[in-house]
Amino acid sequence: MTKQLPNPDEPRWRMTLRTSMPLNLSYIPIGLACGVLLHAAGFNTLLTGLVSILVFSGGAQFMIASMLTINAPLLSIVLMLFFLELRYALLGSSLSRYLKGQSERFLLFFAVSLNDENYAVNYLKFATDKKWTPQDAIQVEHYSLLFWAVSNVIGSLIGSALKIDLNVVQFALTALFIYMVVMQIKERLTIVIAILAGVLAVVFLTLTKSTIGLVISTLLTSFIGFLIEHYLLEKHPKSHWLYKLRHHELTTEDEDDETVDESGQNS
Amino acid sequence: MNSVNTWTTTQHFWLIILGFFVAFAPRYLPIKIFTKRKIPEWFNEWMRFVPVSLFTALVVKDVFISSSYQFEVMPHIAEIVAGILVLVIAYVTRSMAISVVAGLVSVFLLSMII
Repeated sequence: MTKQLPNPDEPRWRMTLRTSMPLNLSYIPIGLACGVLLHAAGFNTLLTGLVSILVFSGGAQFMIASMLTINAPLLSIVLMLFFLELRYALLGSSLSRYLKGQSERFLLFFAVSLNDENYAVNYLKFATDKKWTPQDAIQVEHYSLLFWAVSNVIGSLIGSALKIDLNVVQFALTALFIYMVVMQIKERLTIVIAILAGVLAVVFLTLTKSTIGLVISTLLTSFIGFLIEHYLLEKHPKSHWLYKLRHHELTTEDEDDETVDESGQNS
Repeated sequence: MNSVNTWTTTQHFWLIILGFFVAFAPRYLPIKIFTKRKIPEWFNEWMRFVPVSLFTALVVKDVFISSSYQFEVMPHIAEIVAGILVLVIAYVTRSMAISVVAGLVSVFLLSMII
């Protein structure tokens, strides 16, 4: 596989570092906060580092800290974690078409350090940059893992000396997700789907009282989106709902070409 | 006796190990299955809508849903206003770094005012 670099002087590792930097930097305050919380919940520094590497999920680690402070039983914490982490199945499924032909070992390491935020960065790069490779993607994952784990350990070390407003810090991730939604808006239909996703998320989160609501609403919304797009492409290919907000006009053939290009050389 | 938490380090360790497995299984299994088989086109088209649906759901959860899973608006007014600002800034600049920093600054300032 040959790659043409836009700037041949720039090594690949530095290019992926540059791509992952906004994410890395937003991990610093959140990681610090998470380390402080875990420290308060009784985790020692070594275990804080370990949980940041093995679980590597902001949401999960915040939840561990808060459930420990209310002395929840082990099994119920693990069960809650399971429901919280189920959404990763969706991330893996939607990235898998870009990871075809990779070795078993690569997939294992890729999966271990996959999470919402580096998925966000990598999905966007895979979808928009034809030269983005699985090797670049795993580097982004590892950079974010490094920043996350180090910030957590430092947070654990400074412990109670640091006073952090959690609502403010956590908004860094919210802002990152808002950015990702905006970048996903490619045609008018996507805006409708985003609104539907918001409404269904409220419905299922309040109904299930658990993050499983996220999984249900995502599966349902994306399937409805798929059905509407399919219906429009078949019956009303000129529908204004399919207008692209940037790039070329959409026809069925174009869409197919794009899919083949994006998924690499699998035939 | 520690009033905050009474767990020992060994219990914390087992929590991490079990947590690793419940986090790892949903991360790994779909990747393993779907990279080996021929993925039907309809599945790919379905998965194409996953990012926008999931990220919107995560934003809505962060902004409108309380820790007891109630739908709330008024207690989160600073986040809502900051969220709209980020939306506009992200659309105009298309920069992740600027969006995140602008979000942090605006939610910090807004939560002091409101």
